[in-house]
Amino acid sequence: MDIWAQLINGFAVALTAQNLMWALLGVTLGTAVGVLPGVGPAVTVALLLPITTKVDASGALIMFAGIYYGAMYGGSTTSILLNTPGESATIVTAMEGNQMARRGRAGPALATSAIGSFIAGTIATIGLTFLSPLVVELGLKFGPPEYFALMVVAFTTVSSVLGNSTLRGMTSLALGLAIGLVGIDNQTGQARFSYGVPQLLDGIEVVTIAVGLFAVGETIYNASKMSQVKETLERMSGSIWMKADDWKRSWKPWIRGTLIGFPFGSIPAGGAEIPTFLSYAIEKKLSRNPEEFGSGAIEGVAGPEAANNASSTGAMVPLLTLGLPTSATAAILLSAFQQYGLQPGPMLFEANSALVWGLIASFYVGNVMLLVLNLPMVGLWVKLLEIPKPQLYAGILVFATMGVYGMRQSPFDVFLLYGVGLAGFLMRRFGFPAAPVIVGMILGPLAEEQMRRALAISQGSPMIFFTHPISAALLALAVTVILAPWLWRRFGPARRRS
Amino acid sequence: MAHPRPKGQIAVSAGVLALGAIVLAGAWELPAGGGYAQVGPGVVPRIVGGVLLLLGALLLREALTGGFHGVDEEAEVHLPMDWKAFGWLSGGIIVYGLLVERAGFLIASTLLFVAVARGFTSRRWLSNALVGLAVSAFIFAVFNYGLGLQLPAGILKGLLP
Repeated sequence: MDIWAQLINGFAVALTAQNLMWALLGVTLGTAVGVLPGVGPAVTVALLLPITTKVDASGALIMFAGIYYGAMYGGSTTSILLNTPGESATIVTAMEGNQMARRGRAGPALATSAIGSFIAGTIATIGLTFLSPLVVELGLKFGPPEYFALMVVAFTTVSSVLGNSTLRGMTSLALGLAIGLVGIDNQTGQARFSYGVPQLLDGIEVVTIAVGLFAVGETIYNASKMSQVKETLERMSGSIWMKADDWKRSWKPWIRGTLIGFPFGSIPAGGAEIPTFLSYAIEKKLSRNPEEFGSGAIEGVAGPEAANNASSTGAMVPLLTLGLPTSATAAILLSAFQQYGLQPGPMLFEANSALVWGLIASFYVGNVMLLVLNLPMVGLWVKLLEIPKPQLYAGILVFATMGVYGMRQSPFDVFLLYGVGLAGFLMRRFGFPAAPVIVGMILGPLAEEQMRRALAISQGSPMIFFTHPISAALLALAVTVILAPWLWRRFGPARRRS
Repeated sequence: MAHPRPKGQIAVSAGVLALGAIVLAGAWELPAGGGYAQVGPGVVPRIVGGVLLLLGALLLREALTGGFHGVDEEAEVHLPMDWKAFGWLSGGIIVYGLLVERAGFLIASTLLFVAVARGFTSRRWLSNALVGLAVSAFIFAVFNYGLGLQLPAGILKGLLP
């Protein structure tokens, strides 16, 4: 079947009244949690995982994906109006957008980021539509050693790109891998690291870890370290609409941002940080008035926001076609697939074509919904930012603990949540990124499975990973990713400084 | 300039080392061979444990030679730890775990709300309690009457519909 026929089938799935409702619910929730500080898409999707027992796969996945990319739209609203950035990928928007807001240009800043996100999201979805079948073709040729090597690449890029230290990123990843080991080994039935505690036999739920690290840890950190930091909320003043000059200055950065963001997202390189910074640097270089950068240049909002969105949509390519998540939220989406007994990868496109293409089609629809939600209705979301911090965080923790307790109705999980929250607090305090933990605990068991399968083929010889050219090349790439920053520090130009 | 020894960073590194040791110790009790693959359930735990030990050692070296790269300990000193807030939040969650089945979801959840708000320096006890109760009651209603899940009613069992 060609792409068009499959896409049309996909729209037939996405445009049913029920799935439209799930998409709307998803993007609305996504925008809300994107706007609210202290809670993000990873926590939200994790908390909603239990609905997979009640809702059909396409509905739930359409909603979860809506939360994922909806949060990108919402996040930019917060970073423009509030002087503390929500998520790391919006740091650049926070710099330039907040400056615009301070100069009474909050409206155009919000508009250029919403429209830019829409254009980037839509172009990236077109990219996803046409690139996915090609990657699937490739993926079908891969065997266990190639998959294992691909996952190793994803591990290294996720832990060295997110955060500012490869060593601490790797430590987070190893922690996640260790968490993923707990429970029954799915190949031999052997219990591992359960220490006779029955609750640990089923493994540690990703909900507990994600909510613990992202919601509880973050909240404890904010309460005990950030209480002196003053936040200022900029007023929404002036018109939301952009003037002709704003359009003229925005459209090229939108396109360039998209072209930078999508490729970065679609290789399993993890994180939207690099493309946003890259886009910012390029816009600054190309601008006719670079002196405006740092004090509210609209190009500095338009470009990075487009890059951010394009890269997060691009990240759906490795997730859907190869089963490789490159961010915490993508990893939790992967575990949502697993709840239905589905494994993203080339086979999913064969066996569940309607589901996958329905999901892809829903991205087109969701982006249109988000444009409406975030442009004419932006005032509504700004109201969310007026919730005072004490009550906001109290509410977040009430939902978080309820979700973790309610999952298995076990107080044990609440104490475990607190323990994970403490770990999350320490990680935040000492600069360890949290996302590699989630990716490690979800992708780890899959990597182990592929590794053991590969070794079954080679009858135990690890040489199989090096004699298969693709897997050898990928493993070499992984080693390079780990060692590059160290080599750079050691032999690169920066060394002169010290 | 002589750096003061970053005690926290040393402790964190030691924690990673300890975790590595625990994983390795647990891995040793698992069979490493067997099956067609000759790779038993113990192999990956051994690798993960070993890697954790290595990473812990590297972290310790960083901590002892000028501190973790890219972590600004000076800035951290300017953001002193607010142990009171830390205590309110910790207490709130632990008490929730202890009370959720004994006293019931509504009471535990409302107490948690008040404790967290207090941790963020809000002293409006009554209004926080009311808002917390409203949020908890909303969740309780949605779950128990809407989704058919059972959040524990606890000591309010007779009072709730």
